[in-house]
Amino acid sequence: MSSSNEAGKPGAPGHRSLDSVRAGLSRRRWAEIRFRFYGMVSLAMGLLFLLIMFTSIIAKAYTAFQQTYIALDVHFDEQLLDPEGKRDPVTLDTADYGALVRQSLGLLFPEYKDRQQKRALNNLVSSDATYELRRLLLAKPDLMGNTNRIWLLADDDVDMFAKGQIDRLGAEADRRLKDYQIAWLDKLQEEGRLEKRFNTKFFTAGDSREPELAGIRGAVVGSFLTLVVTLVLSLPIGFATAVYLEEFAPSNRWTDLIEVNINNLAAVPSIVFGLLGLAVFINFFGLPRSSPLVGGLVLTLMTLPVIIIAGRSALKSVPPSIREAALGVGASHMQTVFHHVFPLAIPGMLTGAIIGMARALGESAPLLMIGMVAFIVDIPSSINTPATVLPVQIYLWADSPERGFVERTSAAILVLLVFLIVMNGLAVYLRKRYEKRW
Amino acid sequence: MKNPENNRSTASFARDYTKTVGDILAQNPRIVCRDVDVFYGEKHAIQNVSLDIGRNDVIALIGPSGCGKSTFIRCLNRMNDTIVGCRVRGEILVDGQDIYGEGMDVVPLRAQVGMVFQKPNPFPKSIFENVAYGPRIHGLAAGKLEMEEIVETSLRRAGLWDEVKDYLHHPGTSLSGGQQQRLCIARTIAVSPEVILMDEPCSALDPIATAKIEQLIDELREHFTIVIVTHSMQQAARVSQRTAYFHLGKLIEVGETAQIFTNPRHQLTEDYITGRFG
Repeated sequence: MSSSNEAGKPGAPGHRSLDSVRAGLSRRRWAEIRFRFYGMVSLAMGLLFLLIMFTSIIAKAYTAFQQTYIALDVHFDEQLLDPEGKRDPVTLDTADYGALVRQSLGLLFPEYKDRQQKRALNNLVSSDATYELRRLLLAKPDLMGNTNRIWLLADDDVDMFAKGQIDRLGAEADRRLKDYQIAWLDKLQEEGRLEKRFNTKFFTAGDSREPELAGIRGAVVGSFLTLVVTLVLSLPIGFATAVYLEEFAPSNRWTDLIEVNINNLAAVPSIVFGLLGLAVFINFFGLPRSSPLVGGLVLTLMTLPVIIIAGRSALKSVPPSIREAALGVGASHMQTVFHHVFPLAIPGMLTGAIIGMARALGESAPLLMIGMVAFIVDIPSSINTPATVLPVQIYLWADSPERGFVERTSAAILVLLVFLIVMNGLAVYLRKRYEKRW
Repeated sequence: MKNPENNRSTASFARDYTKTVGDILAQNPRIVCRDVDVFYGEKHAIQNVSLDIGRNDVIALIGPSGCGKSTFIRCLNRMNDTIVGCRVRGEILVDGQDIYGEGMDVVPLRAQVGMVFQKPNPFPKSIFENVAYGPRIHGLAAGKLEMEEIVETSLRRAGLWDEVKDYLHHPGTSLSGGQQQRLCIARTIAVSPEVILMDEPCSALDPIATAKIEQLIDELREHFTIVIVTHSMQQAARVSQRTAYFHLGKLIEVGETAQIFTNPRHQLTEDYITGRFG
């Protein structure tokens, strides 16, 4: 009786608590609004930086996908190339095709004054033009004696000028092109002999000192071979280790020690793995330096801890009820793990592995230590041949003084990012596709 | 009589915590437990439990939470092996064989003593695969037809066949809770065990699904020995022939179900079934 009366009175304990709840309500609501605001601000910051990064890369990169070509009327002069007319392959192979280029350019612009201008004229087309003419003639011998309009690669300075990277109004001494060269180019432009085309070389060629000849094919193939080695080694070793440690290993001081060490290894700076690879794989085992094999081994060491940790957490997240169900019908430990637990953990384990692979794909520091930073023109043909990888190629180009490498660096970054996005997309897809609900 | 408690007058309640009241013996026992102790590390979870489980009998294990009844049932097919730090002492004989003895393989034991868990736990596979998994790993079916027969018989016995016969290749997890639990029972009986252990099989189910499972237990008694852990005293009274009351790791009283619920002989049993604690 008395207690109900007391509760009814204002100021009684019951009322006071309700009042204090009400008083605190707006404060609590404000705290929530403030927190949401902070969250949105940080999210917006993140998106902004991402946007800035992508626009700056794309803005610099997109011009790299086009390349300037110059059309020349080339006369395959039999007197010059094959005076004896025997069509001997050696003669044709070693003939002076540069003379054809010089001839054609000289016909177009007879007004050059001195040797310096002559050299400047010949430098309008890429040094590859002579080889291009040889390739053409060897492929089609009936070109001999004829005059054809042939589109030849322009030199990187011409390319930069055509893309507006060289300011024609600037002081002549500050430009890579002289006034008379610009005049020639203007004339070529008028005659429709200057054209920008899709830059297939960028995707088909290996590295080069000449920007117009440099491509990422070598680096892409090198990256691919390195990743194949990494994948083939780290996936089975990582999965087996994760399954053993999580499902079979007795829990004692040794396994605790191993676990701590794996966790520590995941945090070791990657360059340390590069030094290890240099000391062990190259100096001790004598494996070929700069090779995707050694690169893959080093990256395997680097990604293994990541794969093992992700794999163990994926195995741990399989509900114990599934294990009990399997054990309950008489499945052995091994059958329980391989019929039920492991298949359920695979999406998570693969996600971890792909993210580890993506990290390996973007890694450059450890590969510098094992010589994959070398200047390699040939496209690697096997895991034993010298190669470089995309991030190292980016590093090399970023370090080059030629203006033409600026856009190529950005384009290579773009290619690398596309690969990374594809790999992460694959991880998300695998997770969504094979994730089972229980 | 082996157990002196039987001779005591029922007029006064037994208050002795160390000795089990009632007849621990069963005629023609399937499982014989003698002086079973279970430790989780330092914790003494089961203390000196002796109990017989008769053939084609349903025995209910009741008691307050944490009294060790689940721990005890998990000793009977060595599911406790998976728990780190769990030690079992004493003697548990299934069909005369010491299951904790040297050289005992848990795989045939678990085929012999099946288990149904508290929460329905079908494999994330089809209904057919759920039932077929046990027979497959034990090589019980010679061919596809025989396997289909085993699956059908098991689902029929579990009273699920008519509900799922058109959906055998749908995932087992798409069934309702009660259906999932019956699927788990079908999965257990597919390997034709002799004993089925049920660890609170209805605690996650609604009353209608519970009624179905209870009816099923009654039917299964014909073929199997059933040990059921339950929190519901009504359920124990409905489905079991014998009831064992556990308290703080000790087996306090065991007897005919009717006797336990109408005329308990130990003070603790009396307090528990009248709802003084639990």
